[in-house]
Amino acid sequence: MIREQETTLYLGPQHPGITGNMMVKLKVKGDTVIKAETHVGYLHRAFEKLIENRNWLQSFTLLCRFCVPEPDPMELTYARAVEQLEGREVPERAKYIRTIVSELARIQSFLLWYGGQSGSSGLYTLGQWSVGDRNYILDLFEDLTGARIYHMYMWPGGVRRDLPEGWIDKAYKTMDYLEKRLTDYNQLLFDNAIFQKRAQGVGIIPKDKAIEWGVVGAPLRGTGIKHDVRIDEPYEAYDQLKFVVPTYEGGDVWARALVRRDEIKQSISIIRQALDKLPGGSYYNRIPNPMKWTVPAGEAWVKTESVRGEIGFYVVSDGSNKPRRVHLKGAAYAHGVSVLEKILPGQNIADVSFILNSLGVCPPEIER
Amino acid sequence: MSNFKKETKILKSLKDVFEIKGSVKSDKRISIKADKKNVSSILLFLKNQKGFIHLNHISCVDWIEQNEFELVYIVWNPKTRLTVMVHTRIKRDEPVMENIDTIWDQANTYEREFREMFGIEFPGLIGAKEFILEDWDNIPPMRKDFNSQQYAIDTFSTRPGRENAQNVREAIQKRSGEEIPDFAKKYSRD
Amino acid sequence: MSILDLKGLLVPIGALKQMGKHPHTINFPDEEKNISDRYRGFHHNSLEDCIGCGNCSTICMNEAIDMVALAEIEGGKGDSGLRPRVDYGRCCYCALCVDVCPTGSLNMTKDFIQVTNNPYEFLLTPGKDNPEAKEKVSFKADLEASLNIFDRVPMRELDPGERVKSFAEVLLGYNEEEARREANRCISCGLCTEACPVHMHIPEYINAIAQGKDDEALKIIYDNNDLPEVCGKVCTRRCEDVCAIQVRGEAVAIRWLKGYVTETADNADLIKQIVTPEIREPNHYKVGIVGAGPAGLTAGYYLSLRGYDVTIYESHKDPGGMVMYGIPKYRLPYDSIQKQVDYMVKMGVKIHYNTRVGKDISFQEIYDNSDAVFLGVGLQDAWNLGIEGDDADGVMSAIDFLGKINSGETVEVGKKLISVGGGNVSIDASRVGRRLGAEVDQLYRRRIKDMPADWEEIEGAEDEGVHLIPQAIPTRVIKDKKGKVKGIEYVKAEMISEGGGRPRPVPIEGSETIIDCDIIIAAIGQKADYSLLPEDIADKLKMERGKILVNDNRQTSISKIFAGGDAVKYGNVDAISAIADGYYATLGIDKMLMKKE
Repeated sequence: MIREQETTLYLGPQHPGITGNMMVKLKVKGDTVIKAETHVGYLHRAFEKLIENRNWLQSFTLLCRFCVPEPDPMELTYARAVEQLEGREVPERAKYIRTIVSELARIQSFLLWYGGQSGSSGLYTLGQWSVGDRNYILDLFEDLTGARIYHMYMWPGGVRRDLPEGWIDKAYKTMDYLEKRLTDYNQLLFDNAIFQKRAQGVGIIPKDKAIEWGVVGAPLRGTGIKHDVRIDEPYEAYDQLKFVVPTYEGGDVWARALVRRDEIKQSISIIRQALDKLPGGSYYNRIPNPMKWTVPAGEAWVKTESVRGEIGFYVVSDGSNKPRRVHLKGAAYAHGVSVLEKILPGQNIADVSFILNSLGVCPPEIER
Repeated sequence: MSNFKKETKILKSLKDVFEIKGSVKSDKRISIKADKKNVSSILLFLKNQKGFIHLNHISCVDWIEQNEFELVYIVWNPKTRLTVMVHTRIKRDEPVMENIDTIWDQANTYEREFREMFGIEFPGLIGAKEFILEDWDNIPPMRKDFNSQQYAIDTFSTRPGRENAQNVREAIQKRSGEEIPDFAKKYSRD
Repeated sequence: MSILDLKGLLVPIGALKQMGKHPHTINFPDEEKNISDRYRGFHHNSLEDCIGCGNCSTICMNEAIDMVALAEIEGGKGDSGLRPRVDYGRCCYCALCVDVCPTGSLNMTKDFIQVTNNPYEFLLTPGKDNPEAKEKVSFKADLEASLNIFDRVPMRELDPGERVKSFAEVLLGYNEEEARREANRCISCGLCTEACPVHMHIPEYINAIAQGKDDEALKIIYDNNDLPEVCGKVCTRRCEDVCAIQVRGEAVAIRWLKGYVTETADNADLIKQIVTPEIREPNHYKVGIVGAGPAGLTAGYYLSLRGYDVTIYESHKDPGGMVMYGIPKYRLPYDSIQKQVDYMVKMGVKIHYNTRVGKDISFQEIYDNSDAVFLGVGLQDAWNLGIEGDDADGVMSAIDFLGKINSGETVEVGKKLISVGGGNVSIDASRVGRRLGAEVDQLYRRRIKDMPADWEEIEGAEDEGVHLIPQAIPTRVIKDKKGKVKGIEYVKAEMISEGGGRPRPVPIEGSETIIDCDIIIAAIGQKADYSLLPEDIADKLKMERGKILVNDNRQTSISKIFAGGDAVKYGNVDAISAIADGYYATLGIDKMLMKKE
């Protein structure tokens, strides 16, 4: 009887699938989803409006708060957009440091994702491990930037402070440690029958529609399409470093998980290469007095590869000391709404959080 | 411009078909300005004929001084890796724009956002009226004439304890007896 | 995949091997967390180093920082007396406040825990409430990474070799791009305005320059300074001494920025068109002004804007007083003064030149015919050296020397000129000497770093080949048979500080040295000449050490007489103080006469 009855189920706004609050209104028949609708608005902080009221530098303390698990790509993208508007050169050393910080940010975000993905499938141990190990990355950030989560470190013109003494050695050691730990993670997650059974064939994104739907990042590469901003439009020092972009066929949660697993390895390799090649010289091309700093009129569309995929900033200046418009395009903007609404029908209720997590949905990025 | 061969080619093919103004901004970036009635045909042309199948972004800018909204459609071609930015301006006091969520589904999300945050109407747009805001009865908040600071002052209360704050410029001015004329005050530090 | 996936079930169990491992956590509170040396925790502010500029409060986008008065902080010139207080309910620990702090007093510490029962304890005055945190300072206001621009945009100047050939202006002035860049360094705190005798609206006009609005800047400048071009070139710029940026870097070039703006309006008509001051209806009051120096001109200009009938009496043939005759033309060209005086005349100021009060017109007549009188007579007579032989032919005061040169007369300087003194006037004399083709030695009692002259002037003099002899006290002028200067004898001095005061030069016995020379220029100081005043007025006028005593309105002991400039005992002896005297006397006269009605 119950299998035939249609009900509406409100999932969220708090649930294990995502970082942040977002509600998915599900129409279910039995335990199968027949229609899904995303509802956001729990985390609207009007950041884009606030940025318009602040000067060019002040806004960078808001940028990192667009998305909690990934503050750094936001900073970097905005800094690059402003540099592009201004035509400001960034010293070579700053480019390398930015690359290292971006990749560290990717790793810490991957480790957080490990926690979410395993947690939403009931495997809590791995979450404890990976979030614990993530603290070693945060330690590196603390030494480098003075803060663990919101670094506010990459600003227009370069980075805020040079590498502290002994930091490079510490970074090498942390990379060695993490590399060893990845085997342990595999043991708990990828070799685990529970995860395999939960992930395979679930939440499939069709390969032929993926790009049109606006899918980016690991979910896109999980359908077998190779697209990564770091290769398409290389920024910072990425064109001088060797790395591969892993792809897997299938388009399901499993394929996305495998992509992410391989990407951590690539990130570790990128960091090592960048540390090896780190050039000397200045780390900061001084901006003028921030209170009187004006940026020439124009527009910039700058993209960066974050863990959840391509993010972009559309920045418009009217030549004054405040931005006219700063508009973030987060990876989750399409993933969390239109893509999710398309792939949820037919799935099990228990898999909804699981799929949300594998899409890397970050609600604060949708509503900003 | 020989460096921008591919970019120039796309621009030319667009100029052949449509009445547009445009230029190659930089490597891989083509920027065009079109009339609002041509936008959907340009986007369809780019998607179906030229391989720009990925809708990267739609943005909206309020140019209150000119009494216009500017809509920017950013599309991307995964093969050539080129980006085309289609700009169009619509009247601020008659904010209606064609709905393009039949071309790209995810445009629906953007349009719902702009309907709510800028007050732009997209005829035929499906989806809940309330997307990000809840029970909003003010002017659309992303419009430049919405003063968010004033709104915060009117809506929220401040905790007591900070009333004795002083303005440095005023404190010095008071001490020295300087009189700042009105025409100079707008250049004081705020 | 079968239901019984043996490998998939057994492999995860292998994780049990981790059980025996040492945990990654620390045992709080027995163990301390190792906090990094750059940690951004609570603030610490070194209260003595802080100058209360409020830049931290301005950059804070969360409005978390208030500037508050503290009981233990007095404030004064170069210190607003306010200190930052942080609202930790709003602070986001971004440390922008640290990076914009011009003095480096504000830093962040390793402290980040505050435990309290009171939910209203969220305000903290760094440095006052947490003095112990000084030891834990971590995120520092680094000089290299600071957001302040500590280096001044260099001023282009003539090559030293080129300079000594003529009286052409040495400083070439900022061009538009340089001016915008320099104006951008200003943090608009306004500490400078207090140091300026006339309290010019410095942050406002610099901000206007930064925004490319030179016209507005000029209008703001003319609000209380009618001789900005003079100030733009030769002001003693007390403002720059207290500039917030100067604590760790080079002060904003306030003087040169003013110079830049005034040069954008290069004739009197243009000034009138831009400044468009508010002019009041003429009233029936008359004001007589003695002396067309900076003080007299200023009083004249602002009084005529207020509708007074103003007449200035000047004994020389040109206006400007000491800035006209006492400052060499390579620093302040003739046109600079003339242009501004032309503008004032257009605004209704009447000036009678070649009219010496006391000779061509009696003071009593002016006094009787006016409702108020302003005395701006200046210090026209120089003190002489006061050593043996200072009456020799060829010993001259710097005032006479510069006055003669500036009026176009010739002075025979011979081969070697000795200039005595350490102020701007003696440097002027030295540099003029070089331009006239003499070799120049300059004697000064104390060390070079003690010289009251501007450092730019000292450097400029050295570049042009002036030989500075510090710690040298002249003892005797050596004359030849005809009574003409032949040389000067001096003793070397050593600097001895007693009781922590300013070190005093003490002659070293037996260190007498003689330099042969043809002319000696002394710039020891000047005094006023009050012979123009009738006896009964001179008796009633209260004075101290040869200077007229005035109140804040620049009113003398005779209520109808106001005074200003170098001859009054108020403020410093420089052009800007004289302008301030003229300006505040205007307000005083206005107050006095308007009250009558």
